[in-house]
Amino acid sequence: MTYDAVVVGIGVAGLTAALRLAEHGRRVLVVAKGVGSTHLAPGRLDILGYAAGGQRIERPAAALGAFLAERPDHPYARVGARTLSESAEWFRARLGYVGSADENFLLPTALGAVKPTAVVPPSAVGGDLRTGGRFLIVGLQGLKDFFPALCAANLQNAAPVRARAVELHPPLGGEHDVNGLGFAGRFEDEPFREAVVRELRITFAPGERVGFPAVLGLREAEGVWRELEERVRTRVFEIPTLPPSVPGIRMFESLRSALRAAGARIVVGDAVVRARTSGRRVEAVVAEAAGRTVEYSGESFVLATGGFASGGLELGSDGAARETVLGLPIAGLPPHGERFSPEYLGVQPFARAGLAVDERLRPLGEDGNVAYENLYAAGATLGGAEPWREASGEGISVATGFAAAEAIVQSTAR
Amino acid sequence: MAALQTDVLVIGGGSTGAGVARDAAMRGLGTVLVERRDLADGTTGRFHGLLHSGGRYVVKDPPAARECVPENAILRRIAADCIEDTGGLFVTTPPDDPAYAEQFLAGCRATGVPVEELPVGEALQREPRLNPRISRAFLVPDAAIDPWKTVWACARSAQAYGARILTYHRVVDLVRSGDRVVGARLANDLTGEEVGVEAAVVVNASGAWAGQIARMAGCDVEIQPGKGIMIAMNHRLVQTVINRCKMPADGDILVPIRTVSVIGTTDVRVPDPDEAPVTQGEVEQMLDEGEVLVPGFRRARALRVWAGVRPLFQETKPGLVSDTRDVSRSHTLLDHARRDGVEGLLTITGGKTTTFRLMAEVTVDAVCEHLGVKRPCRTHEESLPGSQDGGHYWLGARLASREPVPRSEQIVCECELITRRKLEEAIDRRRTVNLDDIRRTLRLGMGPCQGGFCIYRATGILHARHGVDAETANGSLLSFLQERWKGVHPILYGDQLRQAHLDDWIFQGVLNVRELAR
Repeated sequence: MTYDAVVVGIGVAGLTAALRLAEHGRRVLVVAKGVGSTHLAPGRLDILGYAAGGQRIERPAAALGAFLAERPDHPYARVGARTLSESAEWFRARLGYVGSADENFLLPTALGAVKPTAVVPPSAVGGDLRTGGRFLIVGLQGLKDFFPALCAANLQNAAPVRARAVELHPPLGGEHDVNGLGFAGRFEDEPFREAVVRELRITFAPGERVGFPAVLGLREAEGVWRELEERVRTRVFEIPTLPPSVPGIRMFESLRSALRAAGARIVVGDAVVRARTSGRRVEAVVAEAAGRTVEYSGESFVLATGGFASGGLELGSDGAARETVLGLPIAGLPPHGERFSPEYLGVQPFARAGLAVDERLRPLGEDGNVAYENLYAAGATLGGAEPWREASGEGISVATGFAAAEAIVQSTAR
Repeated sequence: MAALQTDVLVIGGGSTGAGVARDAAMRGLGTVLVERRDLADGTTGRFHGLLHSGGRYVVKDPPAARECVPENAILRRIAADCIEDTGGLFVTTPPDDPAYAEQFLAGCRATGVPVEELPVGEALQREPRLNPRISRAFLVPDAAIDPWKTVWACARSAQAYGARILTYHRVVDLVRSGDRVVGARLANDLTGEEVGVEAAVVVNASGAWAGQIARMAGCDVEIQPGKGIMIAMNHRLVQTVINRCKMPADGDILVPIRTVSVIGTTDVRVPDPDEAPVTQGEVEQMLDEGEVLVPGFRRARALRVWAGVRPLFQETKPGLVSDTRDVSRSHTLLDHARRDGVEGLLTITGGKTTTFRLMAEVTVDAVCEHLGVKRPCRTHEESLPGSQDGGHYWLGARLASREPVPRSEQIVCECELITRRKLEEAIDRRRTVNLDDIRRTLRLGMGPCQGGFCIYRATGILHARHGVDAETANGSLLSFLQERWKGVHPILYGDQLRQAHLDDWIFQGVLNVRELAR
């Protein structure tokens, strides 16, 4: 069958584009090699945390104009301020999150560094450092991916708060090396929660907000978190830590369920390796599944395959770069030998390499014109951004996934 | 100012210095070794890890080959646990002059390097990734040697014989009294404390930095630092050391060591041993040469690149050459009394890790002569700590030691199977807050993810140890990340670029380390 739209990739950009298209009543197929960045990242929407010069941003929407004046090739320049704010609001409402593009929360990381983030799950909000206060950071013995003492010590230096740390000894039945997902499963057991709360009450001082590593349940996370708040009688919040990311997986599951409910078909495990084209149109994408090749044809296509991290773009040892499905040219690639600055945290010219697109997010070919009239790109595949320096990664994915869907809906209006 | 008195002051904590300190201490001499950074942080810790059979030198430098033969055998005995007995192959690949193979065989026979020709089919069966178009293959007793383990074992042995090992102690100046060097002034770079050492003899074993030290005594020693780069590739692409069977050149050796394979190397003169940047051209050259040995090399993940600096000595006092230089061409012992009229100072430079024990023996013989004592060298008879049972290191050793243990210890570094307890013990034993020191001690962060997961954990564990504050832990984390970046950014492509981005995801995305650097 021919789909109205085929979305390649199931990261935040692919999920957003697919869900928006399905909401518009389009028959959508999502085909992906595997799960992507959602399982690594904290499951939050960073829109714009830092200006081009590195200053922390408090109000992303208000700062956007000045930012884009210095970054005219940024994906946000393609989608515009209005779509950026609309997409953030859509994402918030879809997931039951809190926040908007207007304002950044200032939240603790597992190292105790601060991080400006715009739209977050309710279980993150209690960690907002802007209002000051007293914090108790809770570690869990057996979890090697969270160090409460270091987190608390750094928070005191980073924000006008008081913070201390405690390590609890939850019952692990003889296990001593349980990862975040393992803890998330255990937090869904009532006796385990009871043991944690009992130990926490001994050390907890009234008035303190309590920060846990973000492992408070997976499928029943909202209930686990609310119950802890009620039983300890204070604000409880989650701090994301190393992959696999429990809150990222929650977000993925939530968007995937929504996508299924909206009638989209999802195929995970097929690696799209090329496309069948005819003139300036993509007819189908070709995927390699277990031992066979499959073609998926559609009216429109969205490339949401990710950047160099996810395999959507590829850099060879000879310095040549390419987009991996259609071999589209990469814009903004610094000369071989000058790709990276020797300062790890310095400006990395290579970060901005990626696909160049027109106003409707259609990738440009070698000649500078739109490569295929029915092919759109979203997310980290796009060039022009420095997601780490800017704290803009998920914001770009949601805004461009959203905008790509709008562009498809407009160009194929019925 | 703290003051120490000793018979011998050894400057330099590479294999040569550690070997000299061990030898001197074993002969009953009071010994102090000083190193400006960590042990084996310089050239010794920046080579490919090849224990030479001598095969590399049989045509170009037969005396060096002759030296390697007995030293290879001695180190296999006394430093067994530091060595993996990989064996080595010399292979003639399509671009190599086929006539060299006969010269090579003749050279091996003339110098005593044990050699056996293997049928090509057998060589390929042993090393299936090797270029199938090789025309000849020769087996020699090359091996892989862990430089850090070796140097630390020498240092521990020296300590057991009463030597003092002072790391992160920089020589500020040599102290002269008339025409005699009588000691040195040191600065402890961790505490800022100044330390004075009085010594009857000072041994300058600072390798590529030997010229700088000799100059402090007013002696002119011309060292030309020769930079060589090495790239560690993910996994063991080969299980045997692979050499190109041709005149020694760039990128002709691939050494399987621990969990990686290291390709090397180049030879470029640099003006300053502390400034040895890796160029893109050198990286390309290594990858191209790797492709000749192992087709598909460029598609393998490159984990880290680094440069070492060889000490190449050039005698600038022609009239003195015959009576100041040791006869060997592979290393140089300068007696500054005879050469420059400065008493109490010896410089040992040049050479290679394979012959470090011999270099130490020659040096300490000269020290004894100065002190007017006659005591024989015993370093070839006594095994290093950890090597007493004579068993070689093998790749499965860490897994084997872990398997019988119940799942009760957290694995901090999954790539190198390092437990939390092992990490804590190393932090305490080394008395260090430097995660890069721990990297060298345990190979923490040397695996495919280059510290992506373990270094956050190590930072948290470090912070919890004995009053290490958050600023110190943060600083150690940031400097580890910067050091790692230095070693990876010229080789980021393909899957390792993806790995680096995953690490960015963790450190910049999830943890936002940038805020700690403000």
